[in-house]
Amino acid sequence: MELALQQKLLAQLASDRAFRETFFADPARVAASEGLTGEALSQSHCEQLRQFARVLQHRRLAQVGELLPLTHKALGTRFADLFHNYAITPPSGTRPCEDALGFVRHLKQHAATEGLEPEWSLSLARYEAAQIEATWLDERLVFRCLPHAVRKLSALLAVGDVPAGSYRRLSLALWWRTSTRSRLKHWLR
Amino acid sequence: MGRKTEITNLLAHLPRLGVGLAYRESFRDELLHHQSEVDFVEIIGDHYIDAPPERMDELALLSEHFTILPHFTNLSLGTAEGIDPVYLEKIANLIRRLNPPWWSEHIGFTRAGGIHLGQSAPLPFTQEAVEVMTKNIITARRAIATPLMLENVCSPLAWPGGEMDEPTFISEVLRSGGTGLLLDVSSLLNHAVNLGGTPATFLEKLPLDRVVQVHFSGGQDACGQLVESRAHPIPEALWQLLDDAVARAPVRCICLERDDVLPPLSEMLGEVERARAIGRQHQRWS
Repeated sequence: MELALQQKLLAQLASDRAFRETFFADPARVAASEGLTGEALSQSHCEQLRQFARVLQHRRLAQVGELLPLTHKALGTRFADLFHNYAITPPSGTRPCEDALGFVRHLKQHAATEGLEPEWSLSLARYEAAQIEATWLDERLVFRCLPHAVRKLSALLAVGDVPAGSYRRLSLALWWRTSTRSRLKHWLR
Repeated sequence: MGRKTEITNLLAHLPRLGVGLAYRESFRDELLHHQSEVDFVEIIGDHYIDAPPERMDELALLSEHFTILPHFTNLSLGTAEGIDPVYLEKIANLIRRLNPPWWSEHIGFTRAGGIHLGQSAPLPFTQEAVEVMTKNIITARRAIATPLMLENVCSPLAWPGGEMDEPTFISEVLRSGGTGLLLDVSSLLNHAVNLGGTPATFLEKLPLDRVVQVHFSGGQDACGQLVESRAHPIPEALWQLLDDAVARAPVRCICLERDDVLPPLSEMLGEVERARAIGRQHQRWS
């Protein structure tokens, strides 16, 4: 069915930057390789497709930002830049929480290869990722040992302060449910 | 009784809700304090699918204080692959739990080729797309008896090879699917700026007797394109368009959407009150 092929092509173009650039280089060839025979998207739709991709990326950024509020505050405007580097491929999974976890994995890789400042922002990201796992992924028990003072940093960021210093101090965080229907409990030290 | 009359009658008997807000968790407490100033709350239904108990507690709290309208994105009624029966069943369960006067989805698709876009993408305006939408709508309506409203999507992209214009496409989908229209007036304005045409002409061509709900939100000018950012106050041109739409269509409610850069709730309540006055002026509610 032509519509199914058209939709698959648009979904790839909107969510995969490398595929998009390959397509723009030779739209007719890529459309044919995807099995499309009728009037398809072409060079003239280049800017519309880029704009549509930006809209999708902006929506993903807003949803992930809502799930990682401390990380967002810690990184400031760099949160969006780092997210745009991550979101050049389709979201991992079907839910915003899975996209947020994918972004935290990206942050970890980025920190390992290029570093991430302030250093404690990665601890906050890992802390929030663990909270997402405990809240949304049916994990009954989640434990994290983090190298920074998460409680203190969270409190400062919550009131709009910009923490200065290294805040090196071990934090232990635990989330648990006694059953899948019981309320989530949390302990942080 | 003809099918069109039957549907128009059904829509005419839906309650007049007034003006409400698209719910965001960040203003929950403040919203509960201003309960009397908001006539209903619209939730993103997808956020309550496979949700933890804490999220369902929040929904129960909202239900105690407001009429809830569930609005969905991820059912993907326009997908040629067919809708996901498991997701449909989860939506049906949520709707049974909420017992709303109606529920809503989009005239578009969010899923194709294993990719979940998370936001509705437009459909080509072809007979094939009308047929795909119709088939999926009928499947959804068999599973969910509550009336379904469909929203026009906002997109900077126009497919090539259209066999009809957008208002005709929307009319065909509503007619063959037997649903009402959730009219996003911000999308009309954005389309006019981005793709040409005038919102008034677009509005004239729509089946206005099917309009049950209206969405409105502030947009953002990005490189000459108007983007539905839902992050800005309502511009005067949109207030004019809202007035025009409410004057001509038998709307039962208006919903203000705001996603990013949430202002203080008092600012949004000012916009809610202005929209309420528009509805009152056109005798949509008292």
